[in-house]
Amino acid sequence: MTTPQVTPVVPAPSLAPAVVDLRGIRKVYAQGDVIFEALRGVDVQIMPGEMVALMGPSGSGKTTLMQIIGLLDRPSEGGYRLGGRDVTTLSENERAAARNTEIGFVFQAFHLLPRLNLVENVEVPLTYAGVPPRERRERAMQVLARVGLADKARNLPSQISGGQKQRVAVARALAGRPRLLLADEPTGNLDTRTSEEVMGLFSDLHAEGTTVVLVTHEDDIGAYAGRVIRVRDGLIESDRRQTPRRGLGGHP
Amino acid sequence: MTTRPLPQTGAAAPTPAAVPRRGGIGLGGAFTIAWRAIVGTPLRSVLTALGVIIGVAAVVALTAIGQGSTAGVTKNLESLGTNLLTVQSARGGGGGSLVRAGPRQTITVADAEALAGAFLDRVAGVAPSVNSNLQAKVGTNNAQVSVVGTWPAYETVRNSPVETGAYFTDADVSGRKRVAVIGHQTLLDLFGDGTEGSATPEQAIGQKVRLGSVTFTVSGVLPDKGNSGFGNANSQVLIPLSTYLQRFSRTNSAGGQPTVSTVYLQATDAKDLTGLQSDVTDLLMTRHDLTDPDSLDFQVQNQADSLASLNSITNTLTLFVGAIAGISLLVGGIGIMNIMLVSVTERTREIGVRKALGARPRDILTQFLVEASLLSIGGGVIGMLLGVALAFGGKALNITPVFSLPPMLIAFAFSALVGVFFGYYPAARAAKLDPVDSLRYE
Ligand SMILES: Nc1ncnc2c1ncn2[C@@H]1O[C@H](COP(=O)(O)OP(=O)(O)OP(=O)(O)O)[C@@H](O)[C@H]1O
Ligand SMILES: [Mg+2]
Repeated sequence: MTTPQVTPVVPAPSLAPAVVDLRGIRKVYAQGDVIFEALRGVDVQIMPGEMVALMGPSGSGKTTLMQIIGLLDRPSEGGYRLGGRDVTTLSENERAAARNTEIGFVFQAFHLLPRLNLVENVEVPLTYAGVPPRERRERAMQVLARVGLADKARNLPSQISGGQKQRVAVARALAGRPRLLLADEPTGNLDTRTSEEVMGLFSDLHAEGTTVVLVTHEDDIGAYAGRVIRVRDGLIESDRRQTPRRGLGGHP
Repeated sequence: MTTRPLPQTGAAAPTPAAVPRRGGIGLGGAFTIAWRAIVGTPLRSVLTALGVIIGVAAVVALTAIGQGSTAGVTKNLESLGTNLLTVQSARGGGGGSLVRAGPRQTITVADAEALAGAFLDRVAGVAPSVNSNLQAKVGTNNAQVSVVGTWPAYETVRNSPVETGAYFTDADVSGRKRVAVIGHQTLLDLFGDGTEGSATPEQAIGQKVRLGSVTFTVSGVLPDKGNSGFGNANSQVLIPLSTYLQRFSRTNSAGGQPTVSTVYLQATDAKDLTGLQSDVTDLLMTRHDLTDPDSLDFQVQNQADSLASLNSITNTLTLFVGAIAGISLLVGGIGIMNIMLVSVTERTREIGVRKALGARPRDILTQFLVEASLLSIGGGVIGMLLGVALAFGGKALNITPVFSLPPMLIAFAFSALVGVFFGYYPAARAAKLDPVDSLRYE
C-alpha cells in the first residue's frame, strides 16, 4: 500500500506545543445562494522543526488551508492554536502582529513590491515590527546574504530572474525570524533547475530548525519534505512521514 | 523510525519572535512609503494635486493683487487732496439726459462763487473745474491734452503744486488772462520729443502754447505724477476758469449761466467734513429751488464716502475670491480623492502583500492618509509659490501686490485639511481590504 520508506504518522510524545494545531477546521464560501465548503473538517498538528508538504488536486483546499494557518483568513468553524496560543479570538490588529512576527510567507507569484529594491523589500516586515532603520538594514542584509543575493541588494525586482525573486521572497519571509515558514507553490513559476535551488534553500532552513509548510503539485518537490499531507475535497486524505530528499543546491 | 529528532540548533535557529517594539510603522514609516509612492510617479502626483495647486495659487495671487490695487487706489484718492468734498451734477438726473452723453451740467459758476462766499471760514479752498480734450501745439510739435479751467485754489485743494514756475493768480482769473500750467508729459511732447528728459521745465516757462486756436503763455509746469491714477494727470493743462469759459465753453450752460462739471471744496477741519457736506447740500438746494432731498440735480460726495465704498467693493471682492478659492479647493480635494481611490485599486495587490507581512489596518490607513495629505500639502506649497509668482505678474498691470499672511495661511491650512478629509475615505477602504481577496486580486 505504501513504499517502504513511508510510514504512517504516530504523533511523538513531546512537551513542546505544536506550532500549528488545527481542530475541526471548516471553511464555507458563500457566493450568493451557492454555498461551497472548501474545507470540511480538517485536523492537523505540525510540530516544531517539521517540514510538511501539502499536496492534492487543484481546488482541493490547499491554499484555503494555508491562508487559515497563516492567519490571512479565518475558518468558518474549528479551533486553531499557533505555538500553543489560541488565535481564533484575536483581533484584526493582533492577527497582523502575529503574521508579522510568527509567520513568514512565500507566494507562488513572488509578490515583491516593484518600486522597492531588494533590501527594502526584505525590510518591509521589519518596518511593521517597528525595528529601527539601522538595525533593519543590517538584518535585511544578513538574510539577503543568507539567500546569496547580498550583491544585488540595490537592484529592483524587475532586474532579477524568477529564481532570484523567489530567494528574495524567502529572505523577506525569514527577516522577522518567524517560527513558521509558509510557502504556497513556491516553485510553481520556476523551472526545474531554479526549483531545486529554491527547495535546497528550504531544506537548509529546515535543517537549521525552521518549521516549514509548503504546498506543491509536484512529487519531486514534495519529496523534500519529511511529511506529506494529501488533501482532497476539503478533507485530509492521507498524512505520512517519509525520508526527505536532500537538496542539490543546499549547502553551497 | 517514527519521528525525527527536532533540530533546534544552528546559527539561524528561529528564536520565538520578539514582541513588536513599537506599534506598527508610525508616522515616519508611513511618510517614507507615501513619499516613495508620490515621487515614483511625479507627473501623476502633480496632476493629482493640480486642483489644490490652482486653488491656492488663485487665492494667494488674487488677494495680493486685490490688496495691492486697493492700496494703490486709496493712495491715489488721498493724493487728490485731503478733506475733500466733490460737488457734481447728479448722475442720470435732469430731463433729456438720455439723448446727450453724460449728465446735464447743473452746477454753475455762480454756485461755486456762492459756496466760496458762504463757507469762507470753514474751507481752505474752493476750486470749480471744467475740462475738455484739445490739441496743443508748439511749433510743429503737438499733443492731445486735457484742458482744465479752474481757480488758483486748485493747487492746494487738489494737492497739485507746480514743479517749476507758478499757478495763475486771482488777477489772472478776473482778467481772463491766457496763461497755462502744463503737465509733465505735455511738456515733453511740446518742448521735447516726447521721451523722458527731452525737455526741462525751465525751458517751457514763458513760452507760447496754442490750445486749439488760442495762444497761451506757460506760467508753470507740474511734476511727474506717474501714469497711474484717474485720467492722465501728466497730460493736463490748467488755465483760468474765466478764460476757459470765454474761449472754449459752447454748450455748457444752465439757463444761460456758465456751468462747471465739478466743484472741489477742501474742509479746514476733517471733523467738519460731514457737517460741511450737509450744509453745502442745503445751500445748493436753496439755490436750485429744490425741496425733495431724494431728487436732487447735483450730488455732494465726501472723500471718506469714496474710501468707504471702495472698501465695501474690496470686501465684496475678497468674499468672491474666498468663495472661488473654497470651490476650487473642494474640486481639488475631490480630484485627490478620485486618484487616491484609483490608486488604492491599483495597489490592491501591494496592500495584500503588506498585510500578509504584518501591516495592521491602521498602518495601511496611515500610509494612504499621509499620501493624500502630502499631495495636498505639496499642492498647497507649490500653489503658494505659483500664486506669489502670478501676483508679481500683476506688476505688468501697474499693481504692486501686497502679501499678507492670513489668507496665505488659511489657504494652506485649508489645503492640508482637504487632503486629510478627502484622503480618509480611500485610505479607510484600503485599510479594510481583505488580505486574501487582495492577494488573489488580478
Ligand atoms: N473566495 C472564494 N469564494 C468562493 N469559493 C472559493 C473562494 N476561494 C476559494 N474558493 C473555492 O474553494 C476551493 C478551494 O480553493 P483553493 O484555492 O484552496 O484550492 P487549491 O487546493 O489551492 O487549488 P490549486 O491547486 O488550484 O491552487 C476551490 O473550489 C475554490 O473555487
Ligand atoms: Mg492554491
